[in-house]
Amino acid sequence: MTTETAIFRVDGVTKSYGGVKALDSVMLEAGVNEYLSLLGPSGSGKTTLLRVIAGFEVPDAGRVYFQGRDITGLPAHERGIGFVFQNFALFPHLTVRKNVAFGLMYGGETVSAAETDKRTQAVIDMVGLTGMEDRGVDQISGGQRQRVALARTLVMQPKLVLLDEPLGALDANLRGRMRNELRAIRERMGVTFLHVTGSETEALAMGDSVVVLDRGRIIQAGKPDDVYSTPASPAVAHFLNRFNLFSGKLSQGVFTGPFGTVAVPKATRAADDVYAIRYDRVRAQPIGAVTSGPALKATYIASEYLGSSVMNFFETADGKVVEVEHHLSLGAPQTFEPRQDYLLTWTPDQAIVFGREGK
Amino acid sequence: MTDATVAPKRRGSSWLILPGIIWMALFMVVPILMICYVSFWTQTTFNISSTPTLASWKQFFSSDTYTGALWTTVRIWLIVLATTFAIGYPTALFVGLFVKSKTLSTVLLVICVIPFWTSFLIRVLAWRPMLGKEGAINIILMKLHIISQPIEVLLFTELSVIIGMSQIYCVFMVGPIAFMLGRIDRNIIEAARDLGAGFGRIFWKIIFPLSLPGVVVGAIFVSVMVLGEFATSGALSGRKVNLLGNIIVTQVGSLKWAMASVTGVILTVVMGMVIAVFLRIVDLKQEL
Repeated sequence: MTTETAIFRVDGVTKSYGGVKALDSVMLEAGVNEYLSLLGPSGSGKTTLLRVIAGFEVPDAGRVYFQGRDITGLPAHERGIGFVFQNFALFPHLTVRKNVAFGLMYGGETVSAAETDKRTQAVIDMVGLTGMEDRGVDQISGGQRQRVALARTLVMQPKLVLLDEPLGALDANLRGRMRNELRAIRERMGVTFLHVTGSETEALAMGDSVVVLDRGRIIQAGKPDDVYSTPASPAVAHFLNRFNLFSGKLSQGVFTGPFGTVAVPKATRAADDVYAIRYDRVRAQPIGAVTSGPALKATYIASEYLGSSVMNFFETADGKVVEVEHHLSLGAPQTFEPRQDYLLTWTPDQAIVFGREGK
Repeated sequence: MTDATVAPKRRGSSWLILPGIIWMALFMVVPILMICYVSFWTQTTFNISSTPTLASWKQFFSSDTYTGALWTTVRIWLIVLATTFAIGYPTALFVGLFVKSKTLSTVLLVICVIPFWTSFLIRVLAWRPMLGKEGAINIILMKLHIISQPIEVLLFTELSVIIGMSQIYCVFMVGPIAFMLGRIDRNIIEAARDLGAGFGRIFWKIIFPLSLPGVVVGAIFVSVMVLGEFATSGALSGRKVNLLGNIIVTQVGSLKWAMASVTGVILTVVMGMVIAVFLRIVDLKQEL
C-alpha cells in the first residue's frame, strides 16, 4: 500500500484525556475498496481513533489525511466520511425512510426531492429493507435497525465508512448473518470500511486486513491469516484468544517454563519471555505416557461443547488454566476423568516463542 | 396473549385500585358533581334554595364582568404560557443538553427550585417592593439615569401580574423539558451532524421534536396553575385584573354559591379542553 492509493492515512496521531494517552502516535493507512478491521480490548483507544478520523475529536498531535487531503481541522460533516454508531443512534421519532433520507434532506448540499427519493429507495433496497420504509425505527428488529444505520450512512455515498462495533448490539445468531451482509454490501458499494471490534473472531473473519491496537498503540497490522498464525507480540497472541501463554525464561535458544525446558530454534523479539501454543495444538495424554516433547502435568476440570469442536480445560499445579481444543472432524473426542491428572504435550515447532533475545 | 391468560391476573390485583377510586370519588368526582348541581340552584340576595334554574348561567354569559374575566383569564394564560416557554426552553436547552456533566445539570435544576423554599404568597408579595413606583427596579433605572420618571405601569397592572406569574411558573416549564432533553442520546446529534445537518436543522428536526413531550407536560403544568390562579392577580394587580379564580373568591366571600359554582364549572371545562388539546399534540403514553 502506498500513499497514492491510500484512501485515508493517520499520521502520528496522539490524543490524551486528562493526562492518560488514549492514542500514542498512531500510524494507519487503508486502501480504496478495502475492508479493514481494527481489533483491540476495551480501553485500547479504538473508538477514540475512529472518532478522530470521523472528526468528532481533535487530535493533540498528528495529521489525518483523506483522499490525499489534510482533513485534521475539518469538521465532521465536511469530511465525507460515514460513521455507523455502536448503538446505531437512529432518529427515534422518524420512519425508516426518513432516517435514511435525513442526510439528503437536511445535509449541507441541496439534493432535489426526486433525487432524494430515488437514492433513498435504492439504498433501502440494497440493504434489504424494502417494504419497511414507513415503519418507525422502534417497530423493527435489531438487525433491521443495523441496516437502517448503514443505509443512512451509505446514502451519502461516502468513500470511507467507519463502523464502531457495529455488531456489538446484536445477538450471536444475527451477528453471524450480518457479518456476511456487511461484507456483501461493502463489495457492492466499492467503499472502504473501517470496522472497530473487540471480538477477535469478528476481526479475523471480516477484515481484508486486521490492525491490532493496544493501549493507544498499533501493535500489529496484516492479513488475518498472518496475524493469526504469527502474532507479533504476546499481547496480540493474548487478544486472539487462541493461545495458551506461559511465562518463563528464554536463554540461549532454550525456553524454561512450567513444562520443563524446550529447545527454541526461532523466537520473536518481545519485552517479556512468553511461550505461546495454540489451543488446538495441545494434546492430553494419560500420566506415564512417553512424550518426546514438552510435558505439563495438569488436572482436568471441565469441557465445553462448541459444535464443531470440544474445548477441554485443565488446571496446572500453580493454578493456571490451560485450554485444549479438539476438532471433532479429527475423530471422536477423548473422554477425561474429572479431577484426574493428565500430561499435556505438543510438538515444539508449532509453538510461537517471544523473548528478549528473539529477532 | 389471549383473554383467558389475562383474566385471572386482573381479578387478583384489582382491589389495589380501590384506595385510588375512593380517594378520587371523595375529593374529585363528588365535589365536581356538587358544583355542577349547585350551579343550577336558585340564588336570592340572602338565601339559596335547591329549586333548579338557569338564572346564574344566563347571568354569567350576559354580564361583561363575567365574560370579561373569562377572556382575561384566557389572555393572561396564553401570554404567561408564551413567556414561560420563551424563557424556559432556552434554559432547559442549556441545563439538559449543553451542560455535559450530569452533576452540574442536577445542581442547576436544584438552583431553579430554590425560590420554592419560600412560601407562594411571600414570592408573590416580594414583587411589590421590586415593581412599585419607588421599588427596586425604578430606583436602579433612575440611578443609572436610564429613566427620569418612575415607570408606573410596572405595578398594579396586567403587566405586573404577567411578570409575577411568569417568574413563579417558569420552573414548571424548565423541569420537564430539561428532563426530556437530558434523555436524548448524544450520538443521535453527532449522527445528524455527521450527515451534514447544521445546528438549526438538527434543532428543528431532531432536538425539538424529541423534547416535545417535555414541552407538553410543562405546558399542562403551567396552564392548570395559571388558569386557576387568583392570588397573584389579587396581590399584584390592585384588583384591576379579575380572573375566573378571583370571581370565585369574591362570590364565595359574599355567599353567592350558585354564581361561584357556575364560574367553577366553566373554569373546569376550560382546563379540560386545554389539557385535551395538549394531549392531542403528543402521545404521552408512547413518548414517556
